[in-house]
Amino acid sequence: MRVSKIRYYYPLGLFIALFLDGTLSNIFAGNFFTANLSIESRLFLLWVVMSVFFAKVEHPFFWAIAVGLTFDLFFTGIIGPFFMLVPLILYLTRVMYSFFTPSFIVVLLIYLIDIALFTLLFYWINVLIGFTSVSLASFISGTLGPTLAFNLAVFVILYLPIKGLMEMSSR
Amino acid sequence: MQRFFFNKRLIIVLITLIIGFVLVAFSVTVRNNKSTPPIIQQFGNDAAGLVDRVVSYPISAVGNVGGAVEDLLNTYQENQKLKKQVDSLASEKVSNQTIRKENAALKKQLKLNKSLTNYTAVTSYVIARTPSSWQNQIIISKGSLAGVKKNAAVLSDKGLVGRVTEVNKTNSKVELISTTNDDADRFATTIITDDGSVNGLITSYNADTNRLIMGQIDSQKTMKKGDKVITSGMGGNSPQGIYVGTVMKVEKDDYGLASKVEIKPAADLTNLNIVTVAKRTD
Repeated sequence: MRVSKIRYYYPLGLFIALFLDGTLSNIFAGNFFTANLSIESRLFLLWVVMSVFFAKVEHPFFWAIAVGLTFDLFFTGIIGPFFMLVPLILYLTRVMYSFFTPSFIVVLLIYLIDIALFTLLFYWINVLIGFTSVSLASFISGTLGPTLAFNLAVFVILYLPIKGLMEMSSR
Repeated sequence: MQRFFFNKRLIIVLITLIIGFVLVAFSVTVRNNKSTPPIIQQFGNDAAGLVDRVVSYPISAVGNVGGAVEDLLNTYQENQKLKKQVDSLASEKVSNQTIRKENAALKKQLKLNKSLTNYTAVTSYVIARTPSSWQNQIIISKGSLAGVKKNAAVLSDKGLVGRVTEVNKTNSKVELISTTNDDADRFATTIITDDGSVNGLITSYNADTNRLIMGQIDSQKTMKKGDKVITSGMGGNSPQGIYVGTVMKVEKDDYGLASKVEIKPAADLTNLNIVTVAKRTD
């Protein structure tokens, strides 16, 4: 049996996307984290969600846990939040996928739900452990809104390239 | 009932949740311990740091070119402003040198080899920033191999930016002073006023106005807008005399007893490329 290339491309792209999040956040910190708004770049989540629709990945949950743990260890030092959230989002996306045939709009809406839920749950965990005391109202206007806008813009730009890459390497 | 307990999927979800929350609780608890992170975690972080450097290198290069173009456009106005400052700077530098020499001589006479102002600097560059609104954290490219210590103060070219929270072999995490984290260690600071110095602690940060709040103030001396704030070196982690910012507003706290001082931080926390870790030598 021929081994498809996605076996190598998927983890590679996943971790590049993860580290790009950190680098972009640092370079554009002046635009991403201001007094009124803060944007959380989630490129790796885009990669995970797109792979559900357009790639045949082996052991998707293993990679979801691996990337979540890496984020926790390397970026925050608080182990746990992404370790739980990334597999959860992957699972939800797979459940939603079973009801729809993928098209640009469908994937966009599912990604919107994923990002919103992910950001909300991550906020909630941080409130629990006392890392922030921002109220729900200012969370929605200050973080959730800009994060959704940024990630959807990235989605619109990268939808076709990622789809093409995944479909090509899944053959 | 039978079905509920043998539902495999539910059990997996529950176990994941329990493990996850135990890990969260554990890492929050041991965060400020001297010995964290353990070797395995350090190893993972070092590996991740290595990959991150490879990924971020081309992006940073492009970013730097963008910054260079922007700098070029501002050059003329900047030049005008700087010319005025240069003249006064030269005379200040000379007097500074004289005082430094005198200080060294006096210290020698007193046989005072180490004091709170001494520190060795470890310069490193910033490899990433945590992509999260709730952790104001950056990852820098030097770790315990270069001599970075946990809780050491970190400064940019303009002033204090944060403290080291986690040290790996080849990279470290730095929590910025703009953090609102409840259990972050606070900096002990001094306000230099006209009639002496006033000690206190940085107690919180106001993100809306970009102001540090200094509380726990120990004296009734009058402070005014524009007074300089430096680290006091008390508390054992940061050296004395690192520039924090200037006083913007002084007000009595809710009970009219101590004062609450708003400080404008000197460093720009959203534009960090090179930072210095100040390691105390005593």
